[in-house]
Amino acid sequence: MGYKRKKGDGDDEEMDGEDRGRPSFNGSEKRNVILPSMIKNKDKRAKVYAKQKHEKKIEKQKKIKARDAAEKRALELGEEPPQKMIPNTIENTREADETMCRPDDEELFADIDADEFNPVLRQEITPKVLITTCRFNSTRGPAFISELLSVIPNSTYHKRGTYDLKKIVEYAKKKDFTSLIVVHTNRREPDALLIIGLPNGPTAHFKLSNLVLRKDIKNHGNPTSHEPELILKNFSTRLGNRVGRFFQSLFPQEPNFRGRRVVTFHNQRDFIFFRHHRYIFEAKETKTKGKDGEKVKARLQECGPRFTLKLVTLQHGTFDPRGGEFEWVHKPEMDTSRRRFFL
Amino acid sequence: MPRIITNETYGCPPIRALTFDSLGLIKVTEARGKERGTPTVVNTWGEMNANRSVIAASMDDRLDNPLLAVARKDGKIEVLNPCTGDLHFSYSAFGDDGCSPEDNEVSGLHLFRKQIDDQAERSCTLLTCTKKGDVSLRSVKFPADSTDEAAAPKTWKACGTGELLFGKVDGSENFGLFGGKRVEANIWDLEQCTKIWSAKSPPKDSLGIFTPTWFTCAAFLSNEDHRKFVTGTKSHQVRLYDASAQRRPVLSFDFHETAVTAICEDPDGHTIYVGNASADLAAYDIRTGKLLGSFLGKCSGSIRSVVRHPRHQVIASCGLDRYLRVYDVKTRQLISAVFLKQHLTGLVFDSGFSGEETAVANTVVDDDATEENMTIMEQEDDEEDEEEQEDEAEKAPVKKKKSKKEKRSRKKVQEDDDDEEEKEDETEEAPVKKKKSKKEKRSREKVSEGEETDEVRSSKKTREHKKKTKKVKHNQED
Repeated sequence: MGYKRKKGDGDDEEMDGEDRGRPSFNGSEKRNVILPSMIKNKDKRAKVYAKQKHEKKIEKQKKIKARDAAEKRALELGEEPPQKMIPNTIENTREADETMCRPDDEELFADIDADEFNPVLRQEITPKVLITTCRFNSTRGPAFISELLSVIPNSTYHKRGTYDLKKIVEYAKKKDFTSLIVVHTNRREPDALLIIGLPNGPTAHFKLSNLVLRKDIKNHGNPTSHEPELILKNFSTRLGNRVGRFFQSLFPQEPNFRGRRVVTFHNQRDFIFFRHHRYIFEAKETKTKGKDGEKVKARLQECGPRFTLKLVTLQHGTFDPRGGEFEWVHKPEMDTSRRRFFL
Repeated sequence: MPRIITNETYGCPPIRALTFDSLGLIKVTEARGKERGTPTVVNTWGEMNANRSVIAASMDDRLDNPLLAVARKDGKIEVLNPCTGDLHFSYSAFGDDGCSPEDNEVSGLHLFRKQIDDQAERSCTLLTCTKKGDVSLRSVKFPADSTDEAAAPKTWKACGTGELLFGKVDGSENFGLFGGKRVEANIWDLEQCTKIWSAKSPPKDSLGIFTPTWFTCAAFLSNEDHRKFVTGTKSHQVRLYDASAQRRPVLSFDFHETAVTAICEDPDGHTIYVGNASADLAAYDIRTGKLLGSFLGKCSGSIRSVVRHPRHQVIASCGLDRYLRVYDVKTRQLISAVFLKQHLTGLVFDSGFSGEETAVANTVVDDDATEENMTIMEQEDDEEDEEEQEDEAEKAPVKKKKSKKEKRSRKKVQEDDDDEEEKEDETEEAPVKKKKSKKEKRSREKVSEGEETDEVRSSKKTREHKKKTKKVKHNQED
């Protein structure tokens, strides 16, 4: 009996809760608020939820309408339109970093002038890149390497064989290579990239992920053999600057603009996104209000591989994981905040 | 999960650290104030030149005449004043014949604290060792004009083959310790220039693998005993040697996975601080070889040097991550980190620094220390003088005093307008006038007394000087 009555009571309350869907937002009611999650009947609960959701949607639309109207009115009256809201993102709420490069920092420029990449970037030496793999290499590895060869001008592939990497470094030094790239594959999937600056440049170890080869990209283009333009974006800290310059030193410093080929390294939250595009400026005839004009529009076509890199270590000197000195290693104790980035 | 430990000792005790970097700059970082403050860069010495990057540094931080020796990549060795950054003198470690320093670099430098000959005040003795194993002991006097007296440096070869990577001198400064790549650690008597002991490499391990000798750093355990020392090796081993016991290491243990790059001893004689190439820093008890704890400081680059402050409970580390980090020894917490922009190669503490302005003034010692002291004294006297004057003028408000002074100066300049001034005087309040008259009286008395009384107070030069000028003024008025 009692049990049944109780149940009945509960039902009543549920109904109340449903009715009070909106009033509970106003907070005018004094009684204990029953949240929809407290309703035990799934059907009813779903209904309440749907109702709430719908109301929220309408409210949002109203808000947007009002905002647009205000903006329009301001434009008509010739006033300043209200400022656009900027959403908070992880990037723009990033933790303040004292190692940020500033353009007025003399010491920074002196340091940059003295680093290992300077002869290449000053065009005293043309970059020459040797690409090799880890010991075992198959399927996607060679395909990726063949695409890397088409991306980086003046690069050659050598079979790894059973040589020590330190021996290969010696060999490449003798042959005047300026950098050495080792593609590491695991389970037939490239998963790491080791870039070694030669003769005494640093060694960067990247984790490689999300590799998409050219043939898997829809509407991909085929790159030409022109020297590409290079876009390095968001390498803002001292470490980021160094890594960015490292990438820069892989490519010839005089792009062939006729080729209209761009290679992008875009850093976002310490992940470096690699993209390779061809672009074209298309002149489209437009008819706007009786005036025939030509509108120039840039179109992009992606070609070449697409992948993401994440810096694991940056080592001082050439490859020597045991004895070498690290300029930067990631340690778990450094991950104190998701808004703290190093590049 | 990151460890979150609330730190009780935030802030830094008053320290003064000199850091050396790959551009050849010397940066002075100070934490001031009696209370715990934050260290900031106060000074940067030298010009930016990557060919002159600092390789080794040594400091003699006695109170009265501190010196700092710095070895640069181009083979130059410079001796500086660590308070002002003034260069005392410099010479080339490779002699004047100009052996190309590309294949040979200075690897160790020590500035002797004890004076070899007492009568020459401005001299110092420097021990340098180069990668090829040339050790030279040279004493220099520095006004540079007295080069004719400079004795020929004692030189010897500390090793035949291999690369010498460190050279250390023990606390009594009679013995030197050298070691490096393919060079076993060996102790030399610096007086006789003879090798008195050399280590023996540890036996093959259970797999029959023999690790080649490659010492990277060393430290003597205590100031008194030259026989006990700790070394770090490239094969991430820390070894304790006791020269009086055996030639093989008494104790050895592994420290992480990468080369040990810096070792520093604690004054208590049994704690050592070890830093390595992948930015780990830890404290070990060398009696047992047990880890006491590691210093977590978000350090990300190879540690090039670790230094313990002689008085405060603080160690500092610097390295390739371009940061100077200061840790508390007891809690092993990071106290503060200073970003110094370049790869840092070395670090030295100035123990004479106490964080207060006056203390700095005392440690600043110019060529003529005595004179400086005099001037300081005089300044103090001046202050006293002023105080006295203030005491006199206590009754009269300060502002009025000023106005009076102005008046006086005006009188000096334009004596013609005396009448007007008198009027002004009348308009002014009484106490001021009284004061003035008092002073005049005093001056007149002085004049009557003559100059002898002034000469009695010869030590207070400036005061005397002031009074003289006053007198002159008043005489003119009269």
